[in-house]
Amino acid sequence: MKRVKQILFVLLIGFIVMQFMQPARNQSGQVLQTDISPTYAIPENVQTLFKNTCYDCHSNNTNHPWYSMIQPIGWILARDIEDGKAKLNFSELGSLSSRKQISRLQQIENRIKDDTMPLPAYQLLHPSARLTEEEKQLLIGWIQKTRDSIASKR
Amino acid sequence: MKRFAIPLALTVITLLVSSVVGLAQHKHDEMKSMGKVDSSHGQSAKKGSVVVQTKADTISTPRVVDANVAASMKEIVEHYLHLKNALANDKTKDAAAAGKEIVDAMGAMDKSFLTAEQKKLYEDVEDDAREHAEHINENAGNIGHQREHFDMLSKDVYDLVKAFGGGQVLYKNFCPMYNDKKGAIWLSETKTIKNPYYGKKMLTCGSVQEELK
Repeated sequence: MKRVKQILFVLLIGFIVMQFMQPARNQSGQVLQTDISPTYAIPENVQTLFKNTCYDCHSNNTNHPWYSMIQPIGWILARDIEDGKAKLNFSELGSLSSRKQISRLQQIENRIKDDTMPLPAYQLLHPSARLTEEEKQLLIGWIQKTRDSIASKR
Repeated sequence: MKRFAIPLALTVITLLVSSVVGLAQHKHDEMKSMGKVDSSHGQSAKKGSVVVQTKADTISTPRVVDANVAASMKEIVEHYLHLKNALANDKTKDAAAAGKEIVDAMGAMDKSFLTAEQKKLYEDVEDDAREHAEHINENAGNIGHQREHFDMLSKDVYDLVKAFGGGQVLYKNFCPMYNDKKGAIWLSETKTIKNPYYGKKMLTCGSVQEELK
Protein backbone atom coordinates (compact mmCIF):
# COMPACT_ATOMS: atom_id res chain seq x y z
CA MET A 1 0.00 0.00 0.00
CA LYS A 2 2.84 2.35 0.84
CA ARG A 3 4.40 1.57 -2.51
CA VAL A 4 1.24 2.43 -4.42
CA LYS A 5 1.06 5.74 -2.61
CA GLN A 6 4.63 6.52 -3.54
CA ILE A 7 4.04 5.78 -7.20
CA LEU A 8 0.92 7.94 -7.23
CA PHE A 9 2.89 10.70 -5.54
CA VAL A 10 5.60 10.54 -8.19
CA LEU A 11 3.04 10.64 -10.99
CA LEU A 12 1.34 13.59 -9.37
CA ILE A 13 4.63 15.49 -9.19
CA GLY A 14 5.29 14.64 -12.84
CA PHE A 15 1.83 15.87 -13.78
CA ILE A 16 2.30 19.11 -11.88
CA VAL A 17 5.68 19.78 -13.46
CA MET A 18 4.18 19.16 -16.92
CA GLN A 19 1.72 21.99 -16.34
CA PHE A 20 4.60 24.45 -16.33
CA MET A 21 5.59 23.44 -19.84
CA GLN A 22 2.88 25.14 -21.87
CA PRO A 23 3.26 24.95 -25.64
CA ALA A 24 3.34 28.22 -27.57
CA ARG A 25 -0.13 29.51 -28.41
CA ASN A 26 -1.09 29.63 -32.05
CA GLN A 27 -2.48 33.13 -31.95
CA SER A 28 -0.95 35.84 -34.10
CA GLY A 29 -3.90 38.10 -33.28
CA GLN A 30 -3.86 39.68 -36.71
CA VAL A 31 -5.40 38.96 -40.08
CA LEU A 32 -2.74 38.90 -42.76
CA GLN A 33 -3.17 40.35 -46.25
CA THR A 34 -2.67 36.78 -47.47
CA ASP A 35 -5.69 35.53 -45.51
CA ILE A 36 -8.54 34.02 -47.49
CA SER A 37 -10.70 37.07 -46.89
CA PRO A 38 -8.68 39.90 -48.41
CA THR A 39 -7.29 37.49 -51.04
CA TYR A 40 -10.64 36.49 -52.51
CA ALA A 41 -14.08 38.01 -52.58
CA ILE A 42 -15.82 36.00 -49.91
CA PRO A 43 -19.31 36.45 -48.48
CA GLU A 44 -19.46 36.78 -44.72
CA ASN A 45 -21.44 33.56 -44.14
CA VAL A 46 -18.87 31.53 -46.08
CA GLN A 47 -16.01 33.17 -44.22
CA THR A 48 -17.71 32.47 -40.88
CA LEU A 49 -18.16 28.81 -41.77
CA PHE A 50 -14.49 28.45 -42.64
CA LYS A 51 -13.54 30.23 -39.42
CA ASN A 52 -15.71 28.05 -37.23
CA THR A 53 -14.84 24.76 -38.84
CA CYS A 54 -11.26 25.04 -40.12
CA TYR A 55 -9.33 27.92 -38.57
CA ASP A 56 -8.49 26.25 -35.27
CA CYS A 57 -6.05 23.92 -37.03
CA HIS A 58 -5.51 25.61 -40.37
CA SER A 59 -4.72 29.25 -39.60
CA ASN A 60 -2.45 31.42 -37.48
CA ASN A 61 -5.28 32.05 -35.02
CA THR A 62 -6.55 29.16 -32.97
CA ASN A 63 -9.41 29.56 -30.58
CA HIS A 64 -7.76 27.50 -27.84
CA PRO A 65 -10.18 25.46 -25.72
CA TRP A 66 -9.77 25.52 -21.93
CA TYR A 67 -8.43 21.95 -21.83
CA SER A 68 -5.51 22.94 -24.01
CA MET A 69 -4.11 24.43 -20.78
CA ILE A 70 -3.85 20.92 -19.37
CA GLN A 71 -0.78 18.97 -20.35
CA PRO A 72 -0.22 16.67 -22.15
CA ILE A 73 -3.50 17.50 -23.96
CA GLY A 74 -2.14 20.89 -24.97
CA TRP A 75 0.98 19.28 -26.44
CA ILE A 76 -1.08 16.90 -28.54
CA LEU A 77 -3.28 19.73 -29.80
CA ALA A 78 -0.22 21.87 -30.57
CA ARG A 79 1.17 19.08 -32.70
CA ASP A 80 -2.14 18.65 -34.54
CA ILE A 81 -2.19 22.37 -35.30
CA GLU A 82 1.37 22.26 -36.57
CA ASP A 83 0.50 19.36 -38.88
CA GLY A 84 -2.68 21.06 -40.02
CA LYS A 85 -0.93 24.32 -40.85
CA ALA A 86 1.79 22.55 -42.79
CA LYS A 87 -0.84 21.12 -45.12
CA LEU A 88 -3.12 24.13 -45.37
CA ASN A 89 -2.98 27.58 -43.82
CA PHE A 90 -5.92 29.87 -44.46
CA SER A 91 -3.93 32.83 -43.13
CA GLU A 92 -1.32 32.46 -45.84
CA LEU A 93 -3.29 31.17 -48.83
CA GLY A 94 -2.67 34.38 -50.73
CA SER A 95 1.09 33.94 -50.57
CA LEU A 96 0.94 30.78 -52.70
CA SER A 97 1.18 30.71 -56.48
CA SER A 98 -2.19 30.68 -58.20
CA ARG A 99 -1.51 27.11 -59.30
CA LYS A 100 -1.09 26.07 -55.68
CA GLN A 101 -4.10 28.07 -54.56
CA ILE A 102 -6.20 26.11 -57.03
CA SER A 103 -4.75 22.84 -55.68
CA ARG A 104 -5.50 23.83 -52.09
CA LEU A 105 -9.06 24.82 -52.91
CA GLN A 106 -9.57 21.55 -54.79
CA GLN A 107 -8.34 19.60 -51.78
CA ILE A 108 -10.59 21.53 -49.38
CA GLU A 109 -13.52 20.69 -51.63
CA ASN A 110 -12.55 17.00 -51.71
CA ARG A 111 -12.26 16.82 -47.92
CA ILE A 112 -15.68 18.44 -47.43
CA LYS A 113 -17.20 16.08 -49.98
CA ASP A 114 -15.79 12.88 -48.50
CA ASP A 115 -16.56 14.05 -44.94
CA THR A 116 -13.03 13.54 -43.65
CA MET A 117 -12.77 17.16 -42.55
CA PRO A 118 -13.33 18.55 -39.98
CA LEU A 119 -11.93 15.54 -38.16
CA PRO A 120 -14.56 13.44 -36.36
CA ALA A 121 -12.90 14.05 -32.98
CA TYR A 122 -12.95 17.78 -33.62
CA GLN A 123 -16.64 17.66 -34.53
CA LEU A 124 -17.34 15.75 -31.35
CA LEU A 125 -15.74 18.47 -29.24
CA HIS A 126 -17.08 21.35 -31.36
CA PRO A 127 -20.72 20.66 -32.21
CA SER A 128 -20.88 23.94 -34.14
CA ALA A 129 -18.26 22.60 -36.55
CA ARG A 130 -20.62 19.94 -37.87
CA LEU A 131 -21.52 21.05 -41.36
CA THR A 132 -25.08 20.58 -42.53
CA GLU A 133 -25.75 19.53 -46.13
CA GLU A 134 -26.68 23.11 -47.09
CA GLU A 135 -23.53 24.49 -45.49
CA LYS A 136 -21.43 22.01 -47.41
CA GLN A 137 -23.08 23.00 -50.67
CA LEU A 138 -22.53 26.66 -49.84
CA LEU A 139 -18.82 26.09 -49.26
CA ILE A 140 -18.37 23.86 -52.30
CA GLY A 141 -20.18 26.35 -54.52
CA TRP A 142 -17.95 29.17 -53.36
CA ILE A 143 -14.81 27.07 -53.75
CA GLN A 144 -15.66 26.07 -57.33
CA LYS A 145 -16.48 29.63 -58.30
CA THR A 146 -13.30 30.96 -56.76
CA ARG A 147 -11.16 28.27 -58.39
CA ASP A 148 -12.59 29.08 -61.79
CA SER A 149 -11.93 32.76 -61.30
CA ILE A 150 -8.29 32.16 -60.31
CA ALA A 151 -7.84 29.87 -63.32
CA SER A 152 -9.32 32.42 -65.72
CA LYS A 153 -7.01 35.16 -64.44
CA ARG A 154 -3.89 33.08 -64.90
CA MET B 1 12.17 4.22 -0.41
CA LYS B 2 11.43 7.95 -0.50
CA ARG B 3 14.92 8.60 -1.78
CA PHE B 4 13.84 7.11 -5.10
CA ALA B 5 10.82 9.32 -5.50
CA ILE B 6 12.51 12.42 -6.89
CA PRO B 7 14.87 10.72 -9.34
CA LEU B 8 11.95 8.64 -10.55
CA ALA B 9 9.78 11.69 -11.03
CA LEU B 10 12.54 13.36 -12.99
CA THR B 11 12.91 10.29 -15.17
CA VAL B 12 9.22 10.26 -15.97
CA ILE B 13 9.27 13.91 -16.91
CA THR B 14 12.44 13.60 -18.97
CA LEU B 15 10.92 10.72 -20.90
CA LEU B 16 7.77 12.67 -21.62
CA VAL B 17 9.62 15.76 -22.74
CA SER B 18 12.10 13.88 -24.88
CA SER B 19 9.35 12.00 -26.66
CA VAL B 20 7.66 15.24 -27.64
CA VAL B 21 10.91 16.89 -28.71
CA GLY B 22 11.95 13.73 -30.54
CA LEU B 23 8.78 13.70 -32.58
CA ALA B 24 9.23 17.30 -33.57
CA GLN B 25 12.82 16.63 -34.62
CA HIS B 26 11.76 13.62 -36.63
CA LYS B 27 9.26 15.70 -38.53
CA HIS B 28 11.84 18.34 -39.23
CA ASP B 29 14.19 15.75 -40.70
CA GLU B 30 11.38 14.36 -42.79
CA MET B 31 10.67 17.75 -44.28
CA LYS B 32 14.33 18.33 -44.98
CA SER B 33 14.71 15.05 -46.78
CA MET B 34 11.72 15.84 -48.97
CA GLY B 35 13.57 18.79 -50.42
CA LYS B 36 16.64 16.74 -51.20
CA VAL B 37 17.03 15.70 -54.77
CA ASP B 38 19.50 14.03 -56.99
CA SER B 39 20.97 16.48 -59.45
CA SER B 40 23.33 14.18 -61.32
CA HIS B 41 20.93 13.64 -64.18
CA GLY B 42 20.85 15.69 -67.31
CA GLN B 43 24.57 16.32 -67.70
CA SER B 44 25.27 13.44 -70.01
CA ALA B 45 22.87 14.53 -72.73
CA LYS B 46 24.19 16.26 -75.81
CA LYS B 47 24.08 19.99 -76.06
CA GLY B 48 21.86 21.51 -78.68
CA SER B 49 18.24 22.26 -78.99
CA VAL B 50 15.06 20.75 -80.26
CA VAL B 51 11.96 22.40 -81.55
CA VAL B 52 8.77 21.37 -79.88
CA GLN B 53 5.61 21.51 -81.90
CA THR B 54 2.20 20.79 -80.57
CA LYS B 55 -0.67 19.83 -82.78
CA ALA B 56 -4.04 21.44 -82.23
CA ASP B 57 -2.26 24.20 -80.42
CA THR B 58 -3.42 27.76 -80.65
CA ILE B 59 0.09 29.09 -80.11
CA SER B 60 1.65 29.07 -83.54
CA THR B 61 5.28 29.85 -82.65
CA PRO B 62 7.13 26.62 -81.80
CA ARG B 63 9.21 26.80 -78.66
CA VAL B 64 12.93 26.20 -78.60
CA VAL B 65 14.00 23.84 -75.84
CA ASP B 66 17.51 22.82 -74.88
CA ALA B 67 18.35 19.13 -75.43
CA ASN B 68 19.18 18.71 -71.74
CA VAL B 69 15.77 20.02 -70.83
CA ALA B 70 14.14 17.75 -73.39
CA ALA B 71 15.98 14.75 -71.91
CA SER B 72 14.79 15.60 -68.39
CA MET B 73 11.27 16.11 -69.65
CA LYS B 74 11.31 12.69 -71.29
CA GLU B 75 12.30 11.23 -67.95
CA ILE B 76 9.54 13.06 -66.04
CA VAL B 77 6.94 11.96 -68.59
CA GLU B 78 8.08 8.33 -68.43
CA HIS B 79 7.63 8.24 -64.66
CA TYR B 80 4.30 10.01 -64.99
CA LEU B 81 3.23 7.26 -67.40
CA HIS B 82 4.34 4.61 -64.87
CA LEU B 83 2.07 6.29 -62.37
CA LYS B 84 -0.80 6.50 -64.85
CA ASN B 85 -0.50 2.80 -65.70
CA ALA B 86 -0.23 1.79 -62.04
CA LEU B 87 -3.47 3.64 -61.30
CA ALA B 88 -5.21 2.16 -64.35
CA ASN B 89 -4.23 -1.28 -63.02
CA ASP B 90 -5.40 -0.40 -59.48
CA LYS B 91 -1.85 -0.88 -58.16
CA THR B 92 -1.51 1.55 -55.30
CA LYS B 93 2.01 0.52 -54.27
CA ASP B 94 3.40 0.89 -57.77
CA ALA B 95 1.69 4.27 -57.96
CA ALA B 96 3.40 5.32 -54.72
CA ALA B 97 6.78 4.26 -56.09
CA ALA B 98 6.15 6.19 -59.30
CA GLY B 99 5.30 9.26 -57.22
CA LYS B 100 8.78 9.18 -55.75
CA GLU B 101 10.31 8.73 -59.22
CA ILE B 102 8.49 11.83 -60.43
CA VAL B 103 9.74 13.88 -57.47
CA ASP B 104 13.31 12.77 -58.23
CA ALA B 105 13.00 13.35 -61.96
CA MET B 106 11.61 16.84 -61.45
CA GLY B 107 14.43 17.71 -59.11
CA ALA B 108 16.95 16.40 -61.63
CA MET B 109 16.01 19.01 -64.21
CA ASP B 110 19.08 21.19 -64.69
CA LYS B 111 17.52 24.62 -64.62
CA SER B 112 20.62 26.33 -65.98
CA PHE B 113 19.51 25.15 -69.43
CA LEU B 114 16.21 27.00 -69.12
CA THR B 115 15.70 30.57 -70.25
CA ALA B 116 14.50 33.00 -67.59
CA GLU B 117 10.95 32.74 -68.86
CA GLN B 118 11.07 28.95 -69.05
CA LYS B 119 12.52 28.76 -65.57
CA LYS B 120 9.69 30.79 -64.14
CA LEU B 121 7.13 28.52 -65.72
CA TYR B 122 8.96 25.34 -64.78
CA GLU B 123 9.38 26.35 -61.14
CA ASP B 124 5.77 27.39 -60.85
CA VAL B 125 4.60 24.00 -62.11
CA GLU B 126 7.25 22.04 -60.24
CA ASP B 127 6.35 23.63 -56.92
CA ASP B 128 2.80 22.35 -57.24
CA ALA B 129 3.48 19.06 -59.04
CA ARG B 130 6.09 18.00 -56.51
CA GLU B 131 3.52 18.24 -53.71
CA HIS B 132 1.10 16.03 -55.59
CA ALA B 133 3.78 13.47 -56.39
CA GLU B 134 4.85 13.45 -52.74
CA HIS B 135 1.29 12.89 -51.58
CA ILE B 136 0.92 10.04 -54.04
CA ASN B 137 4.14 8.56 -52.70
CA GLU B 138 2.96 8.85 -49.09
CA ASN B 139 -0.48 7.36 -49.69
CA ALA B 140 0.17 3.77 -50.71
CA GLY B 141 -3.00 1.92 -49.74
CA ASN B 142 -5.28 4.88 -50.36
CA ILE B 143 -5.75 4.80 -54.10
CA GLY B 144 -8.69 7.21 -53.96
CA HIS B 145 -6.46 9.86 -52.48
CA GLN B 146 -3.69 9.06 -54.95
CA ARG B 147 -6.15 9.56 -57.82
CA GLU B 148 -7.22 12.95 -56.46
CA HIS B 149 -3.65 14.12 -56.60
CA PHE B 150 -3.12 12.45 -59.97
CA ASP B 151 -5.93 14.63 -61.31
CA MET B 152 -4.12 17.80 -60.23
CA LEU B 153 -0.71 16.45 -61.22
CA SER B 154 -1.97 15.64 -64.72
CA LYS B 155 -2.84 19.29 -65.33
CA ASP B 156 0.66 20.25 -64.24
CA VAL B 157 2.37 17.67 -66.44
CA TYR B 158 0.17 18.70 -69.35
CA ASP B 159 1.34 22.31 -68.96
CA LEU B 160 4.95 21.14 -68.86
CA VAL B 161 4.56 19.03 -71.99
CA LYS B 162 2.92 21.92 -73.79
CA ALA B 163 5.83 24.15 -72.90
CA PHE B 164 8.78 21.79 -73.21
CA GLY B 165 7.63 18.69 -75.08
CA GLY B 166 7.31 15.20 -73.65
CA GLY B 167 9.95 13.30 -75.61
CA GLN B 168 7.29 11.15 -77.28
CA VAL B 169 3.86 11.38 -78.83
CA LEU B 170 1.28 11.79 -76.11
CA TYR B 171 -2.48 11.93 -76.01
CA LYS B 172 -4.51 14.12 -73.73
CA ASN B 173 -7.42 11.97 -72.65
CA PHE B 174 -10.56 12.94 -70.85
CA CYS B 175 -12.62 11.10 -68.27
CA PRO B 176 -16.04 12.79 -68.13
CA MET B 177 -17.13 11.15 -64.88
CA TYR B 178 -14.45 12.05 -62.38
CA ASN B 179 -14.98 14.98 -59.96
CA ASP B 180 -18.75 14.56 -59.86
CA LYS B 181 -18.98 14.58 -63.65
CA LYS B 182 -16.88 17.72 -64.00
CA GLY B 183 -14.29 15.53 -65.63
CA ALA B 184 -10.54 15.12 -65.44
CA ILE B 185 -7.73 14.79 -67.94
CA TRP B 186 -4.73 12.52 -68.13
CA LEU B 187 -1.85 11.99 -70.52
CA SER B 188 -1.24 8.67 -72.22
CA GLU B 189 1.27 7.14 -74.60
CA THR B 190 -1.51 5.35 -76.51
CA LYS B 191 -4.82 6.24 -78.07
CA THR B 192 -6.39 3.24 -76.40
CA ILE B 193 -8.27 4.37 -73.30
CA LYS B 194 -7.20 2.81 -70.01
CA ASN B 195 -8.83 4.96 -67.40
CA PRO B 196 -6.52 5.70 -64.43
CA TYR B 197 -9.30 7.33 -62.39
CA TYR B 198 -11.49 4.27 -62.07
CA GLY B 199 -9.22 1.37 -63.01
CA LYS B 200 -10.95 -1.95 -63.55
CA LYS B 201 -14.35 -0.49 -62.72
CA MET B 202 -14.49 1.60 -65.88
CA LEU B 203 -11.30 0.88 -67.75
CA THR B 204 -12.34 1.90 -71.24
CA CYS B 205 -14.35 4.96 -70.28
CA GLY B 206 -12.98 8.21 -71.71
CA SER B 207 -11.99 9.92 -74.93
CA VAL B 208 -8.96 11.38 -76.68
CA GLN B 209 -9.06 15.17 -76.69
CA GLU B 210 -5.75 16.18 -78.14
CA GLU B 211 -2.61 14.74 -79.67
CA LEU B 212 0.65 16.19 -78.35
CA LYS B 213 3.72 15.80 -80.51
